[in-house]
Amino acid sequence: MLQIENALFTIVMLAYFAAMILYFIFIAVKKDALARTAVILQCAGFALHTAALVCRGVGAGRLPLTNQYEFATCFAWGLCLVSLAFIFRYRFTVLGAFAAPVIFLIIGYAAMQSREVRELMPALRSNWLGFHVSTAIIAYGAFGVAFVLALIFLLRDRVKAESFLDQHIPNREKLDVIGYRSVSLGLLFLTFTIVTGAIWAERAWGSYWSWDPKETWSLVTWIIYAIYLHLRIRRGWQGRSAAIFAVVGFVCVIFTYIGVNTFLPGIHSYA
Amino acid sequence: MSAVRKIWKFISSMRFAIALLAVLAVVCSVGSLITQGQDYAWYAQRYPERTAALILALHLDDAFHSWWFILINAFLCLNLLLCNVLRLPRLIARTRAAADPRSALRTAGEVRVEGLPAPEEALRRLRMPKPARGTTEDGRAYLFAGKHRAGLWGAWVCHLGILMLIAGFSLGQMTRETYVVYGVPGQTRPIGDTGYLLAIDDFRVDLREDDTVEQYTAEITVYNPAAGADSALSAALSVNNPASLFGMKFYQNSTGWAATVSVSENGEPLQEEIVCAGEYLRVSDKPDLVIDFNAFYPDYVQSPGSRPATASGRLNNPAYLYSVYYQEQMIGMNVLMADEALTIDDYTVAFSAPQSYTLIQIKKDRFTSLALAGGLVTMLGLLLAFYIQPSAVWAVQSEDGLWTLHGSSRKGGALFRERVLRAAGVDPANHKSENEDMKDAPN
Repeated sequence: MLQIENALFTIVMLAYFAAMILYFIFIAVKKDALARTAVILQCAGFALHTAALVCRGVGAGRLPLTNQYEFATCFAWGLCLVSLAFIFRYRFTVLGAFAAPVIFLIIGYAAMQSREVRELMPALRSNWLGFHVSTAIIAYGAFGVAFVLALIFLLRDRVKAESFLDQHIPNREKLDVIGYRSVSLGLLFLTFTIVTGAIWAERAWGSYWSWDPKETWSLVTWIIYAIYLHLRIRRGWQGRSAAIFAVVGFVCVIFTYIGVNTFLPGIHSYA
Repeated sequence: MSAVRKIWKFISSMRFAIALLAVLAVVCSVGSLITQGQDYAWYAQRYPERTAALILALHLDDAFHSWWFILINAFLCLNLLLCNVLRLPRLIARTRAAADPRSALRTAGEVRVEGLPAPEEALRRLRMPKPARGTTEDGRAYLFAGKHRAGLWGAWVCHLGILMLIAGFSLGQMTRETYVVYGVPGQTRPIGDTGYLLAIDDFRVDLREDDTVEQYTAEITVYNPAAGADSALSAALSVNNPASLFGMKFYQNSTGWAATVSVSENGEPLQEEIVCAGEYLRVSDKPDLVIDFNAFYPDYVQSPGSRPATASGRLNNPAYLYSVYYQEQMIGMNVLMADEALTIDDYTVAFSAPQSYTLIQIKKDRFTSLALAGGLVTMLGLLLAFYIQPSAVWAVQSEDGLWTLHGSSRKGGALFRERVLRAAGVDPANHKSENEDMKDAPN
């Protein structure tokens, strides 16, 4: 099973890479058919990615959510899922062109991690693991899409009126609302992550909040997005300012995931 | 406006809330970047002396319990409380108004489509509930349908949840009692000053084939000697499975190695005690002589020039690292194998019967439930705020018999307008709205 997962993982990387290139060509040559092919390729990559995760889970005999490799590949999966959901929900194909490089970077990061399957330490042997980490994957995926939307929002002004991109990118108000929807999804799931993590920590460590660096940075990320939401409803701070906060929020997400594990060891150090 | 009112208004404002959140994000980041709970020497070793002094002066060594961190949180609570209290009457009025067609009819809504022959189909496409029918003050027929009023309460409920969470956490920090008891099976230890005793009945470390630990399980009995043995309660604890006894929560927290340390004097047994690694034994008839049990290696390996280590967790080649102190001066340190003994003048010291000890954490926190309930209420509030979007759609008949459809949604924005237009059979691309070209006001 793990060999199948390895093979599938490589195919998934290639599929995401090919989708990214197709999206770029779509923007360069301005042919809608290419975008449709890119979306189909991204969907195929996503389906194979799901199969790879299932194989990993079956091969390991547990949920594949416990180490850097597993979380990174799940993060890319979550980002792909949410971006596809937004592409279809809002008929916004160009989103794929901006999301695909981020997905490829994250799965590339996963490829650099050790794929060794290790047995779980007692603290991780809990049903809460599934709730806690899977909600984090959706949250991170949604924040990734919010980041991409914020970049598109910030670049929107540079797009020439009546140009190809202008016709394929929603207007600023719609972009702002779609970005808000993405942050809403992310913040809701991040709250689920923090609350389920607190309940689990209470059972495993005897303390639901220990100011561990991972906990603290999750809180910092939560606060940044809470500021984003408040800014959006303050007159004069919508749009550009909120978009900048969505970008800062995603920087916090990445720091919480990679930076904390690398620079700030704590009780989450196995993650 | 008086200065007091100005301050009061500022404290309850969203601007203040945003500033507090920003400050909180910064101080939390700083608190996580600086290792907490160390002394001056520790910081001075890693930072320039001035920085180390500044860390201590600003309480950055214990940032999350410092007076300024508590003050920021107190202001945040005050801000949230005032926000919720001041908004409550408006929110009640808005909730009532959302169900009242007359309120909607007084406004134009966010989107308007004229000339519809039958608005019912548009309402159905928008999945609105069955509309109320009536006539306006000037005698025109209208239809009104509103839904998801609960969504108006999202932010309010979320703020309430955060208040509960902070209150539960703060009260828990102030009142909770924590104790640690460790020992090997057969030992009974007091639980701090609670009056209860904890007997360790059994402790198992389940290993997998590859020597990794699958689970730690302790079986304990807790009783109050004053209440008699009949009041004793027993439970099994393992990681992720704490037990609640006598209003206290017991956690299988950690483990380590213990050994029996035997001391004899001129060949006559003098003393025998179970000592955990990290503990020491004071020789009973020569208190100045102390045997410190530093570490235990169940499967001892040492190559020349390297530190002592263990090859596995199994008891294949037990070895004990000890140090000996006399009158608080270290006089020796070495590794002792299972079949070896240490001789100090007339005394012979031997280590034997290595076994795992369990470390049990005991906690009494009456406010944990409040904090966790706060977390759940916060989640509920966010769910209401983000996914229960209040909206109202109404249609008014003109003199020519055609209807004008109006729609209003608090959070739908451009997407809601598009939905209404599509439901009314209008292509959004051909419908110019006043809000479509959103411009940023200067910040």
